[in-house]
Amino acid sequence: MRTNSIPSLSSRLFSVWYRHMLVYTRNLVSNGLPPFLEPLIFLAGVGLGLGKFITSMEGIPYLQFLASGLLVTSAMYTSSFECTFGTFIRLEFDRVYDGMLAAPITVNNLIVGEILWAGTKGLFFSFAVLVIVTVFGIISPGLSLLAPLVGFLTGVMFASISLTVTSFVRDINHFNFYMTGFLSPMFFFSGVVFPVSSLPKVIRPFAEIMPLTHVVRLIRAFCLARFHPTLWLDLLYTIVVILVFGYFAVRRLKRRLIL
Amino acid sequence: MTEPIIKIAHVHKSYGRLKAVNDLNFFVEPSTCFGLLGPNGAGKTTMMKMIYGMARRDSDPPGTIQVFGFDPDTHELDVKFLSGVVPQENNLDEELNVWQNLHVYSKFYGMHRSEVDPRIDELLELFELSEKKKSKIRELSGGMKRRLVMARALLHTPRLLILDEPTTGLDPQVRHLIWGKLRQLMKEGLTILLTTHYMEEAFQLCDTILIMDKGQKVLEGSPQTLLTENIESYVLEIYSNEAAQAARSIGEIKGIRLDDTLERPFIYCQNLESLQTYAKQLGKGGYHIRQSNLEDLFLKLTGRELNADQ
Repeated sequence: MRTNSIPSLSSRLFSVWYRHMLVYTRNLVSNGLPPFLEPLIFLAGVGLGLGKFITSMEGIPYLQFLASGLLVTSAMYTSSFECTFGTFIRLEFDRVYDGMLAAPITVNNLIVGEILWAGTKGLFFSFAVLVIVTVFGIISPGLSLLAPLVGFLTGVMFASISLTVTSFVRDINHFNFYMTGFLSPMFFFSGVVFPVSSLPKVIRPFAEIMPLTHVVRLIRAFCLARFHPTLWLDLLYTIVVILVFGYFAVRRLKRRLIL
Repeated sequence: MTEPIIKIAHVHKSYGRLKAVNDLNFFVEPSTCFGLLGPNGAGKTTMMKMIYGMARRDSDPPGTIQVFGFDPDTHELDVKFLSGVVPQENNLDEELNVWQNLHVYSKFYGMHRSEVDPRIDELLELFELSEKKKSKIRELSGGMKRRLVMARALLHTPRLLILDEPTTGLDPQVRHLIWGKLRQLMKEGLTILLTTHYMEEAFQLCDTILIMDKGQKVLEGSPQTLLTENIESYVLEIYSNEAAQAARSIGEIKGIRLDDTLERPFIYCQNLESLQTYAKQLGKGGYHIRQSNLEDLFLKLTGRELNADQ
């Protein structure tokens, strides 16, 4: 009856991912519907209201400009919530990690599995937005079908950042500082709502530091089929952020999980 | 001669200035039950966590931990693969039903698809949960949840089962049911390491118990030997103020030991007749004589007063 060997690394990572997927899909309607409804409501509001005052941005229809940005912000928010509140609850309240770590997986496997799951959610949420904006003819299909891959990258990046933040947090209410002090400003100052180039010169370097700025550029390139060599720098920046924060997340959470 | 499953030698664990485990040594033989007993904060859970790699022992002074010949600090996966762990808390996935809770863990253990369903059915039957297969976790009683956590720990047919206070908070019927299942599993060759606060549980299940206090070993041996060698056979338990006052005024006499650290004194004696003679001096009623048990020994060794962690 005994299985013969320790599961491989890919099996261990998959088992973490699979657990989260199974839990997430238990409430398919309440978890699966909002990603489609939210962009619908947002675009309806902008299309019927703000869109009448602002018709174009950087030479493209404003609705298209905004819609392409929403693909990554939805990935950013879902990944950040998953790896802050979600992780904290699994860590401190439900103690789910204690059970998982009693099985043959390491803390490294657990954290990387978490990050991959958050990336998958990022992919799904950006796909949901893409479906809506494509159905309404805001973004034309084609290369934009690859945009959810940037959603995955966005999910992975914000999972790494959020897990590092979570490793410092001792009280769940402290996540409010992260949400309002980091994520909300990024939504407005990373080129989602208006171009970074229109910001005052002194603020522009700060916008360039923001991780969201770079994935906004990447996803807009796919949505509008406008590619530029500097996009490689955006990709590189994103990968560096993932590696640096991923490393700290694993290192710090290991200290918290292994006594 | 068979090799011990667990070998612990000179293990220390500190949290800052607090010494949680202090120079602990013991062996766990195959197919036996080894119990770690001690008050809250004695270091039992810390010791257990070091055994399955969820806590790291101090490197200075150096100690050794071997589980199936593996050091959990460097071979965490090997140790976990051969062990099943029942933690203190029922950390089940509330969103999933009973069957799904077990199914998810089959992935963690890398079980083949063909063996998962029969094994889940077998364990649900063993722990009398077959009828609850599709139930949500919130629909289960505390005892059912505990049995499910045990089933989960046994899913991959481990050779070692680590139980951290397995029956705390459960009613006597469930406790006895769980003890019965654990005895059955031991007969099938499973080795058990458990911590408990219930002296009866230790007495019922354990072949060897180690009583620890403040991170250190106080006594180790079989329950019966420990009782015979370390405490008087009989105890006079007093529950009336009058009898208590009378006992205090008599005090200790030859062959009689008075433990008066709490509200009511306990009087211990090796000889039943001597204790009966002593009891006659206390007046009528307000006391009874019984055989000493592990709890008396435990309290004798670890004290009756609460420590800061209790």
